[in-house]
Amino acid sequence: METPTEFKILDSIPDLNNLKSFTDRYFSKRYITDIDGIKNNDIMIMFHSNRIALLSLAPSHFFFNKDQEYKLNFTVGKVDRLRNAVKGKSKKGGQLLNPKSVVCKIEYKDGTSFDVPCGMKGTLIEVNEELVNQPELLKQYPDADGYIAIILSSIAISEATKSELLTHDEYLEVLNRCETKDLE
Amino acid sequence: MNQKSIIECCKELGCCDACCLRFLGLKSPAAYENPKQYVINALGKQGASVSPALVVQVETVPAGNQTEPAATAPGAVSEPPHAASEPSPAPSEPSPATSEPTPDVSEPFPAASEPTPGASEPPDDANEPPNKKMKVDGVCTTCLGLLQQENWPQCNAMVKTMLDKKRYECETFACALSAPVAALLRERVVALRLRDACANYDDGALTPLKEAWKWSFGAQLARHVGLALDSGAVSPLLVTLHMEYLEEAGELEALRRLAPELFARRSASQRFAVEFTRRAHAPLYLGGRYVKLSRTLPQTPWLVNGRRMLHSSVQELICAPIAALYRLDAEDAEHRLKFMSAGREDVDVRCLGDGRPFAIEITDPTRQPSEAELQQLCAQISAGGQVLVRRLVPVSREHLALLKKGEETKCKTYEALCIKLSHAADEQLPPAAPVRVTERDLQRVNAYSNCAGARVLLQQRTPIRVLHRRPLHVRPRRILALSAHAVPAQPQLLLLRLRTDAGLYVKEWAHGELGRTRPALADALQARVDILALDVAEVDLAWP
Ligand SMILES: [Zn+2]
Repeated sequence: METPTEFKILDSIPDLNNLKSFTDRYFSKRYITDIDGIKNNDIMIMFHSNRIALLSLAPSHFFFNKDQEYKLNFTVGKVDRLRNAVKGKSKKGGQLLNPKSVVCKIEYKDGTSFDVPCGMKGTLIEVNEELVNQPELLKQYPDADGYIAIILSSIAISEATKSELLTHDEYLEVLNRCETKDLE
Repeated sequence: MNQKSIIECCKELGCCDACCLRFLGLKSPAAYENPKQYVINALGKQGASVSPALVVQVETVPAGNQTEPAATAPGAVSEPPHAASEPSPAPSEPSPATSEPTPDVSEPFPAASEPTPGASEPPDDANEPPNKKMKVDGVCTTCLGLLQQENWPQCNAMVKTMLDKKRYECETFACALSAPVAALLRERVVALRLRDACANYDDGALTPLKEAWKWSFGAQLARHVGLALDSGAVSPLLVTLHMEYLEEAGELEALRRLAPELFARRSASQRFAVEFTRRAHAPLYLGGRYVKLSRTLPQTPWLVNGRRMLHSSVQELICAPIAALYRLDAEDAEHRLKFMSAGREDVDVRCLGDGRPFAIEITDPTRQPSEAELQQLCAQISAGGQVLVRRLVPVSREHLALLKKGEETKCKTYEALCIKLSHAADEQLPPAAPVRVTERDLQRVNAYSNCAGARVLLQQRTPIRVLHRRPLHVRPRRILALSAHAVPAQPQLLLLRLRTDAGLYVKEWAHGELGRTRPALADALQARVDILALDVAEVDLAWP
């Protein structure tokens, strides 16, 4: 029979010109634009194949054009999102979210701020605590280490949400249309 | 008191040859294989020394007296209760609800067959022992024909058919008899008569019907089906014959009147139905190690909403030839083959080296596979090139605990192919300069340690990919050994070899999973990094 040494990991080098990032490998991106009628108030929800969703800001969000120091505030009304805790396989005790729920506020040094809505129904599993210490991650890697929260919903809700929201291609189309309109 | 007079007394009461031996208290299995010869010898040998009157008396029982009560027998007795001369055993209704797992029970099994008058005793046999009652209908008044070979062919055929159908490929079997209660009652009556007729007759020595049946019927059944008869404690296959006697209820009527509550309980549980039953074989466990060479093969069938996502799995590739060996169809295989392993790897992870320990539980195996067949199984499993199994050996049930334990406590060695995605923190390079793995990078990884007693202690959150079905925890896990190597002709790649605690998610450590595993490989390398491929190089467990 074959000897173990016959198989080497070096025979598994993929095409390095077509590498995908971690989120592009495992997640499918969806977008909501102009939330509450606010231009470029755009969020991105990344769905894992197992229905877990990551919330972040879409690249077109006005946040990315504003060059001012900011921090994330996870206290929403009386609820502290940082104290969210889930128990067991069923994630009991997680804060319940609906599309309008505010997950965090982004507060600028000049006193202005904006809310980040959840965009979908589900249970909050965890927020990215690291953003408290390193808020710049959100600007640098919004679809990676700068994600804002992890949300779990039922298969039905995640499927429905996925089909309702804009796919990546649709999102690019919407952005193109806006640009054209702006130029007119 | 001698054998001859007991035999004569039994014969007078209508016993068959084998029952004569039973009442003699004979316990030699060989004697029951040819009871007739024994009876002839017993009567013949002792004939000279015994009172000729008795012999004459027996011999002169006129055939025409057969319908009379055995008035001429020594210690003349009356008929056994209820139509003892007319047992009419016949195939009964299929038993509707038995506790046995086989569907076979629905096949009616003929009890002692139709009476075959005179067939057992060829009239031209000069040595034929006197057998008054037998002449009437040929069926023994005591065992109801169970010990008479002329009633056996139907039983033999039945058992053979069922065995052929079931395809138990074992070499031994055990057989057991579920006899009518009436046979016990009749046996008791004859024993009492013998006590009256023969002084000092010890009915405590009587050989039980079931034993005699095993030695006589069982022995010839073994020849008929081509299997060796063994004890029920040894053989994995038990054939139980349930014999029903249709006159039973009437015959036991007197007893029923004595203790009706006992009868009520009995009929509520089980009637004396005819069945063919078997006992399951003890499960068989085969142990081995599998090498997984495919990056598109899950360990177990990957189903989403009942739909299969990939064409096969390690489990299916290993089980298919085993199912074929035991001739199990898909549904049987699903119920009777169980795949167990010391942990698992992801679909896109190979498992090399000696492979991962696994075991297959085979429920109710028809037989033990031979050494050659085990080799053949390995060859068949390995033929597709996706999974290699070099050796399969039978393992004990106790041994299986090792697999579970191995899953939880054993270390694993991995090889990970990684790509450096940014310049290291201390590299003074223009942003557009190509990213390359440097000697410094390798040294940095090789020197990296954040704890005593191991190389890396990391805090790992439950990975997102399993978070939908597992609780969210932060677990400390250790990397025990870690080395980084350059990859020839691939300046951006590095090869890592690491040994970890069980339960460490290597991919998540390598790419950091959005910061959910800390520290991650990026912290050692001081640059962004991702993983391209992962192999399990060794699973550290002595198995099988
Ligand atoms: Zn008998």
